[in-house]
Amino acid sequence: MRILVAEDLYLLRDGMVRLIEAYGHEVVATTSTGPETLTALLELRPDVSVVDVRMPPTQSDEGLRAALAARNEVPGLPVLILSQHVEQLYARELLADGTGGIGYLLKESVFDADQFIDALERVAAGGTAMDPAVIAKLLNNRTPRLGRLTDREHEVLALMAEGLSNQAICQRLFLSESAVSKHTTALFAKLSITDDTTTNRRVLAVLAYLNKT
Amino acid sequence: MGQVASWAAKLCVGFGRACVLVGVTMLVPAVWAVAAVVWVWWGGNPWSLIAPVVLAAVGTFTLARPICRMIRYFVARWTGTVIPGGYLEPAPVTQMSTGYWWNGRSYSSTSKEAKEDQELANLWRDPATWRDLRFLGIAPFAIGLVAAVPPAGIALVVLAIIRPGLTMVGVLGLIAALTISPYAWRTAEPVAVRFLQPSQEQVLAERVDELTAQRADSTVAQAAEIRRIERDLHDGAQARLVALGLALATAEKLMETDPDQAKALMREARAGAATSLTELRELVQGINPPVLNERGLVDAVRALALDSPLEVTVSAAGRLTLDPPIESALYFAVAELLTNATKHARATSVRINLTRTSTLIVEVSDNGKGGASARRGGGLDGLQRRLAVFDGVCEITSPPGGPTMVRMVVPCESL
Repeated sequence: MRILVAEDLYLLRDGMVRLIEAYGHEVVATTSTGPETLTALLELRPDVSVVDVRMPPTQSDEGLRAALAARNEVPGLPVLILSQHVEQLYARELLADGTGGIGYLLKESVFDADQFIDALERVAAGGTAMDPAVIAKLLNNRTPRLGRLTDREHEVLALMAEGLSNQAICQRLFLSESAVSKHTTALFAKLSITDDTTTNRRVLAVLAYLNKT
Repeated sequence: MGQVASWAAKLCVGFGRACVLVGVTMLVPAVWAVAAVVWVWWGGNPWSLIAPVVLAAVGTFTLARPICRMIRYFVARWTGTVIPGGYLEPAPVTQMSTGYWWNGRSYSSTSKEAKEDQELANLWRDPATWRDLRFLGIAPFAIGLVAAVPPAGIALVVLAIIRPGLTMVGVLGLIAALTISPYAWRTAEPVAVRFLQPSQEQVLAERVDELTAQRADSTVAQAAEIRRIERDLHDGAQARLVALGLALATAEKLMETDPDQAKALMREARAGAATSLTELRELVQGINPPVLNERGLVDAVRALALDSPLEVTVSAAGRLTLDPPIESALYFAVAELLTNATKHARATSVRINLTRTSTLIVEVSDNGKGGASARRGGGLDGLQRRLAVFDGVCEITSPPGGPTMVRMVVPCESL
């Protein structure tokens, strides 16, 4: 894959590049400021990019803004946001367009290199990779209204929001493949999501759920 | 009919107030008159002057403060204008280990003596004493004489009734009393405002005291905070990083001899690094929440609202870019109030309003069971003190049974 790394701290940037190259992917460019990142994203159109939230010149949420602006121009441009902390607020903003190809993880997710690369590949393929902490906060925040989702469906939705495939959800919940697909179908029906190829149904499910609570 | 009644009521009230003012402001002239009478009655030689002078002086001094307090009280009661007293606050009288009492100036053997000594000294030292004496000189003319017109008019009427032939004088007196009654007492307010205000020095001295107390507060709080951060770093992240280094060193050694053991150690080290990152993240959240740095107060409060288990609605109006210290103080204040609403008030929904005009107003209201109060040393008390550093105030209305409404107002024209 062609990957862009946007990170202002040299040590982390260097480590990330080495890790990505160790797995046989190509790093097309590295950037260290918000504006640079935005131009690189739009010009190079990498298969996926790893973007830090806080970057110069303002040391505020430059990276996040660059990613959002780029995805405004190019819907569904795959971006994986890395941060020292996860905020629901940012997660909602990233998921808001419902097109998928988005990731939002804590920086230490790179400790488990296999999983990190896996997340990158998922995002590149148009899926999602969300930090379990942020998903737990998103979904367990409000008590779901009665008669909406069953506990099982809720669990499935949470894992779906993290970006797991049906197969991975099976392994996580010790269910059969058919049971999981039954739950997902029920989920989509309850949240009234139609089968539409242009949008990411799994992201839409999470969004629909959030907007109804 | 109603107009006549209300005019009559005004007249009666005015007449009453005028009489009160005459009584209060003429006390000191009365004392002086008595002194003069005593002197004349004594025969008017220089030696006989001593007693009346002492009488006048002591009378004036002892009456000064009570009279000024009365005037302030009446002005506040009748017009709503509150005039601060601005008298010196006596220092606390404490018993030393030697058994003597210290009143901030000298030692005495009993606390009563110490207090008396202090009062006398304060009376001499207090600039307010001289201001009060000046007022006593002005008041009989500026307030007393004007207020005396209605009672004098009535007195003339009475005189006309007693002595026939003075009808004209009586009629004039009656007209004067009737027309001037509703207004005669009104000079008290401007005169009192002009001459009874605490002096600029006094106001500044009080402000300095207030700021000194605040500074002491904030330095203590800051030191405690720094100690907490240091302890957390020392016992948490630092110790873990040492362990991490040890594990890596061991793994390096074991690479050749026992690769499996080395791998296990590596895994442990990775888990340790993840844990210390989590600890550091929590610590940072407590010092200065990253979202506040990245997005400012409104979005940080929104993030708080999202993380809260309650139904929280946030509305903001106006340009809300503020100084970081104020933002931080308000953020932690809102965080604390949300925690209170969850833990103590058992609320289900909270409304947060941020409005910026010439002041910044943050209102947090919940539908909980109320009964919150700023106990000394409690959370709300600490909150008030933290806001006081920015001259902010925090009003809490929380009747038992709820709802609770906390209103924080911070002046910020200069920002």
